[in-house]
Amino acid sequence: MIQIQDLSFTYKNGESPALQEISLTVPDGGFLGIIGPAGAGKTTLARAAAGIIPHHYPGDFYGSVTVNGLDTVDSSIIDLSRLVGMVFQDVDSQIISPLVEDEMLYGLENFGVSREEIPQRMEEALEKVGIADLRDRSIASLSGGQRQKVAIASIIALKPRILVLDEPTGELDPRSSRQIFSLLKELNEEQGITIILIEQKIMLLCEFARQLAVLSKGRIVRQGDTREVLSHAEELQALGVNCPRVTTLSRVLSEKTGAEQPVCINLDEAENMVRRLIP
Amino acid sequence: MIELEHVSFSYADQGPSVQDVTFRLEKGEFAAILGANGAGKTTTVRLMDGLLKPTSGRVLIHGADTAKSSVSERAARVGFLFQNPDRQICKNTVREEVLFGLRTVRGQDGEEALQERADAVLKEFSFTGEEEPFSLSRGQRQRVALASILAVEPEILILDEPTTGLDYLECCQIMDRIRRMNEERQVTVIMVCHDMEVVLDYARRALVMAGGRLLADGPVPEIFRDTDLMERASILPPQMIALGLRLGAGFERADSPEKMAETVLSLRGKEAAR
Amino acid sequence: MNNLFQYVPGHSLIHRLNPVTKIFLTIVICIAAFLTDRLLFLAGLLAVDLLIGIVAGVANRTWNIFRGLLKIAAFLFLLQALLTRKGTPVFWIITDQGLLTAGKVVLRLVVVCMPLALVLAVTRITDLTNAMVQVMHVPYPYAFTLSTAIRFIPQFLEEMAGIMEAQTARGVAFDKARGLKKFSMILPLCAPLLISSVRRTDQTAVAAEARGFHLRTRTSGYKQYPFTGIDLGAAAFCLLLLTGAMLL
Repeated sequence: MIQIQDLSFTYKNGESPALQEISLTVPDGGFLGIIGPAGAGKTTLARAAAGIIPHHYPGDFYGSVTVNGLDTVDSSIIDLSRLVGMVFQDVDSQIISPLVEDEMLYGLENFGVSREEIPQRMEEALEKVGIADLRDRSIASLSGGQRQKVAIASIIALKPRILVLDEPTGELDPRSSRQIFSLLKELNEEQGITIILIEQKIMLLCEFARQLAVLSKGRIVRQGDTREVLSHAEELQALGVNCPRVTTLSRVLSEKTGAEQPVCINLDEAENMVRRLIP
Repeated sequence: MIELEHVSFSYADQGPSVQDVTFRLEKGEFAAILGANGAGKTTTVRLMDGLLKPTSGRVLIHGADTAKSSVSERAARVGFLFQNPDRQICKNTVREEVLFGLRTVRGQDGEEALQERADAVLKEFSFTGEEEPFSLSRGQRQRVALASILAVEPEILILDEPTTGLDYLECCQIMDRIRRMNEERQVTVIMVCHDMEVVLDYARRALVMAGGRLLADGPVPEIFRDTDLMERASILPPQMIALGLRLGAGFERADSPEKMAETVLSLRGKEAAR
Repeated sequence: MNNLFQYVPGHSLIHRLNPVTKIFLTIVICIAAFLTDRLLFLAGLLAVDLLIGIVAGVANRTWNIFRGLLKIAAFLFLLQALLTRKGTPVFWIITDQGLLTAGKVVLRLVVVCMPLALVLAVTRITDLTNAMVQVMHVPYPYAFTLSTAIRFIPQFLEEMAGIMEAQTARGVAFDKARGLKKFSMILPLCAPLLISSVRRTDQTAVAAEARGFHLRTRTSGYKQYPFTGIDLGAAAFCLLLLTGAMLL
């Protein structure tokens, strides 16, 4: 569980606070999506949730962040890194090794996973992300999308209890993105891994995340169940946050029929809504 | 006008990335190249500007073979917006950045004309010109890159995933600007884009690629409605198209939430009349 | 350029040597090259270099490295030959002594540089650093710095190529410039490149920390690097080289 209370953070040399009075709770086994326009503080929030702030980025830190009971300010980054796996936005700076296999080994070796267990963990993670065939390739020979999958696999292999992902599908096409989202869902539902996901691909996010938090100018302006947050579609759009087209359809139909229509977040729901309207 | 005639391309010690691609873009078209990661889209647009030379086949821009002239000479006519604006931006202020592009390819027009042109473009994009590019957000930097390309008034605009990493508003700002250039000045636009909603909203023609080959070429909504084709190219169609397909006859034209709602209401009206 | 440093996968005798042995062999060849003063022995060492490349199945790479070094060597040879004033003139101001010293200098250079470049072709960089940590007890942070630096080379070149491509597309005539002119055009573009590299290195440090950088100990490696018979053979060969260099 991640509990954030009244968190405000200003980067050293930063002119204005990157985060202001953030309070947010992600329960064990939760799946939270974070959305918001550029510069709203999404990445900063992800760093704070993983304990990288304030450990690596100095600045003025007020409030508290606790991860499974550990206060991130008082705990070492070593203890935190055993709990939280983070996939960074810039994949090229996340990848440390020149070869896929070595990248997979890096964290496993460091965390002292036994020699007997390592091959199985590595294969399983590569398999899950669908890149078992890339194992012996050099990173330099991979496309951006393939590198992104390697980065995700190398974190999943570590079996963290909490996964924080900062736009992990930026370089991926829609089908591969959906595949990654499905994988996250599987990890979340079958292994109870808590997921915090920053994403611009709003349509996918709304299908998969159970809760949403909307950030704007360093503050949380909305948070709650995905459907509830999306029922404020117009407010979101005014902030510069897009909504799935099916949600927009719900809103337009509500206006035009003069009757409140359900807030749809996926195709199935939209299909049902339309079919009910045309008997 | 750009023509690709049986163009193939292979990177050194790798299999072919583009195989026997033939198509032709007329002046004023707005086309998108669709396909999964590794389908050969980026290679194709690089071939179109001569950044890569075809291993076989020809690329003609206004009838001239790209293999016979240099990319830099073409820059006045062909603008290329990359996914990463930071590779393009090299000056300390937005104004200098715009002027840099102008001086490189329109130097013969005289400094005064260039200054005027830069002022006009900065105003259009609502930049003061004194901003430092590297302190702006990624989306704003992409706008700086676009401004300095549009300043030289190219006839053809090639876009390689221009909206990746941008938020919704920034994406709309960039794409609206490009659409205006296309409509008002008949600039030919070709883009690679992973966001099918953006393709549906802005492009009129779609070229579908898979495994380095051109699978299909046609009007955007029709291409998206070809479920078999979408399957083969590993593309997921935009939500409203997918919804229309599920709902069946009568929903062929409902490709936006507004049109979808109208269709629903008119079908409801007919139902009520009966 | 990119290819000159990249690992070539393989299972040759040389590939299977312990990474530490490969480093040792490299150092021995260097020492031997400086110990000896005979042109013929230096030529022999060069033959050893080339042979190693061929046995490792990277003949092409070896040839490319050799050709690259020859260009520098030719320049140095000329300089050395022109500057040496001792000996009897054989042609214009060039003396027999000059030719001999110049020959030795450039041969030494080629002999020393070849194995350094070849090591990277036949050893995965992670094996190199892991073995350094496990066997030679090099502190891990140093090994990490080395491997990250080498890992960044292709990335840096990729970025550079991307920048040049983007600038060419907007009309900067990179595609027509050559040599020094091209270099002077690239220079102003390096500022953004450096900024992004520094930012990237910092982020890589964070990413490493988040995956247990501080937990790593000397024994953390999954792969182990025991010495085998071929290492023994290589060691014997090294001894032979050293004795030869001292006696001949």
